[in-house]
Amino acid sequence: MKNRSSLHHKNLEKIFYPDSVAIIGANKMKGTVPYDILMSILNANFNGIVFPVSPGERFIAGVKSYKYVVDIEEQIDLAILVFPSAVCHLALEQCGQKGIKAVIIISAGFREIGGAGIEREERIKAIAEKYDISFIGPNCLGVINTDPRSHLNASFARKMPEEGPIGFLSQSGALCTAVLDYARAKHIGFSKFISFGNKADISEIDLLFYLMEDEKTKVILLYLEEVSNGKELLDAAKEVISKSGKPILIIKSGRTEEGAAAAASHTGSLAGGDEICDAAFEQAGIIRCDNVVEMFNRAIAFAYQPVPNGDKVAIITNAGGPGVLTTDSVIQNGLKLAKFSEETAKHLKRHLPATANRSNPIDVIGDARADRYNAAMSATFIDEGVDTVFVILTPQSMTDIDLIAREIAKVSSHYDKPVFASFMGATDVQEGIDVLQRNGIPHYQIPESMADALSCVVHFHKDQSKVSSVLITYNDVNAEKAKLILDEAVQNGRNFLTEDDASEVLKNYNIPTIPIQVATSVEEAKEAADKIGYPVVMKIVSQDIIHKTDVGGIILPIHTSNEAGEAYSTIIQNVKKHMPDANIKGVLVAPLISGGEEVILGMKRDSSFGPVIMFGMGGILVEVYRDVSLRVAPISEADATTMIEKIQGYPLLTEFRGRKAKDIEILKECIMRLSQLAMECPQIKELDINPLIVLEKGCFVADAKIMV
Amino acid sequence: MEKSEIENKVKKVVGEVLNIAPSEIGNEANFIFDLGANSMQSVELVGAFEEEFEIEMDEDKALEIQSISDAVNFISGYM
Repeated sequence: MKNRSSLHHKNLEKIFYPDSVAIIGANKMKGTVPYDILMSILNANFNGIVFPVSPGERFIAGVKSYKYVVDIEEQIDLAILVFPSAVCHLALEQCGQKGIKAVIIISAGFREIGGAGIEREERIKAIAEKYDISFIGPNCLGVINTDPRSHLNASFARKMPEEGPIGFLSQSGALCTAVLDYARAKHIGFSKFISFGNKADISEIDLLFYLMEDEKTKVILLYLEEVSNGKELLDAAKEVISKSGKPILIIKSGRTEEGAAAAASHTGSLAGGDEICDAAFEQAGIIRCDNVVEMFNRAIAFAYQPVPNGDKVAIITNAGGPGVLTTDSVIQNGLKLAKFSEETAKHLKRHLPATANRSNPIDVIGDARADRYNAAMSATFIDEGVDTVFVILTPQSMTDIDLIAREIAKVSSHYDKPVFASFMGATDVQEGIDVLQRNGIPHYQIPESMADALSCVVHFHKDQSKVSSVLITYNDVNAEKAKLILDEAVQNGRNFLTEDDASEVLKNYNIPTIPIQVATSVEEAKEAADKIGYPVVMKIVSQDIIHKTDVGGIILPIHTSNEAGEAYSTIIQNVKKHMPDANIKGVLVAPLISGGEEVILGMKRDSSFGPVIMFGMGGILVEVYRDVSLRVAPISEADATTMIEKIQGYPLLTEFRGRKAKDIEILKECIMRLSQLAMECPQIKELDINPLIVLEKGCFVADAKIMV
Repeated sequence: MEKSEIENKVKKVVGEVLNIAPSEIGNEANFIFDLGANSMQSVELVGAFEEEFEIEMDEDKALEIQSISDAVNFISGYM
């Protein structure tokens, strides 16, 4: 299917804002999907005309029914197909003949069942292409638009959700109904709600761009079961975030290690599918959530409150324990406790009892009523050193819960400063929570969730500049020469490059390599070692041997010419003993570098995201702690900086306990050059530079593997 | 049995199950798309064909029958 994005962009408006809708395959049987969808539209007071299409009926629910969609005289903007999958192609063909460009295919029985279902899906895709139709689905719950201009509930969800600023996209239909029920209980409103099912035509990427432009949507939530085109999703998300400033929150299910087990390199085994997803989402500025509760806790912080000016939080509580817990969470989430101004301190002293804690966190004491909360809020909202106010309540016998909730809503409405609340408990606090939620005050069952949600908001706005940073392209590389070496390996049916060839490829991208020579005799080995200078390391060079240590193919350290000659003979003997059929190119002689810090750089070509670059500390840190960072190529300087600073071992590269700082700038450059190599040479499947030795000034590749 | 005879009988059966005059049923009519059969009626049709033609149809294959012409061809195979 050719690129249909611009077509979808145009037709999606008809899906969300149709003047007329045909429900094709409607029936009179209550409790069936076709009937319930028709009733959903009628019950939601849709702002348009509805035409049931049902070959066996003259009318349904008092509405005139048509045998075929082509029998309807009026123009139809949107068709909803609810026929069994076996006849959907017939209905879609008629939609094309009728000139309908926007279709939702609810019916299941397509790609998700395999076999004949795959053929059916291909058939409807071909019809859509023939008539320039854009369709959502198949195998979906449908679409909801709460905008009063349309008020369309083209789904079989039980009820229309409240109107609100959240756009929700889901690959799973069943999850949608659960989410709608959950959101209704918390008065969370939606702008658009879309179940896109098999995404055979309109994808989550088309929908992201639609929601980017949708004035009613402030926050975009996405539930994905598969990332079929990770690179495209990444680019789309970056564009949506940078152009609209709207946050994208994702739940991506299927945290699997599949694929990593079969990897041939360190990078391959360390960069599993889920780690790549995590890194890619972070790189694009997407906020990944682990579950629906976490997603909505964060979403309401973005959706219902103004953007905070900074990371300083004031905590108001009537209970000491929760105040301390919240303080811990604030700090753990990278936020700060606000320091109050003198004005605030005076105000608090005047209005709070002597037993109250008037510094941050403010403890208004367990017997506090609404007046004390009011005093604390008034002071903190006006204090310029406070960016966000957290209000915590525990229900004592004298606590006027509802009144305090109303007070929070009233006071906060006078300021352009975010407020979050946590009324701890369940039954006694429920009415107060309801007041808060109806008034758009994000409420959290536990205060720790407030800190997590605010942290997401603060970091999202802070990190936006990194997402759109500039890429550097190095013009001093010799891509053609590198490609020749790689092509030759591929043509000869090799799976990996010998170390000297790998070194040559890196050299052509100006990634600093150590001077090496390949000796083919004892004499040559001695000469090479003398020339390079001692100590040296010697390694077997064979296109048949990737793990050199296993066959006794590495000897170090070598200090003299005689030792070099002996090492040559020993290596050849060892290899002939372990792998008699191996094709031996010679023995590589390289300087043994001492000092510096060992790091690992790697690349893995992911089927969904393309080339992924890995960075980590070398030695046991990478093996034991999996202390690595990943980013999808191409990599900007900001990405490279984040990769280096993100790992736990980063302090080892900085000035630390008398050790001098290592050359971070050259490290960044190597990461970006490797990214360019990965982008320009698709022959490379996996690559390990392990170790790369970083010195105070400069760095060297000590060993490299390239898989093709 | 002649194909035309099978066709007439199929239309008669379909007409009875779906409550449509056989004369209004075309040779290529699709049970669901053209005649409005629901999933229950699709199962009923298979039973009615078996009774009318005194045959026992392979259930999975029988449910793949979509139209009058499909049914005629399928039943011909049993005659």
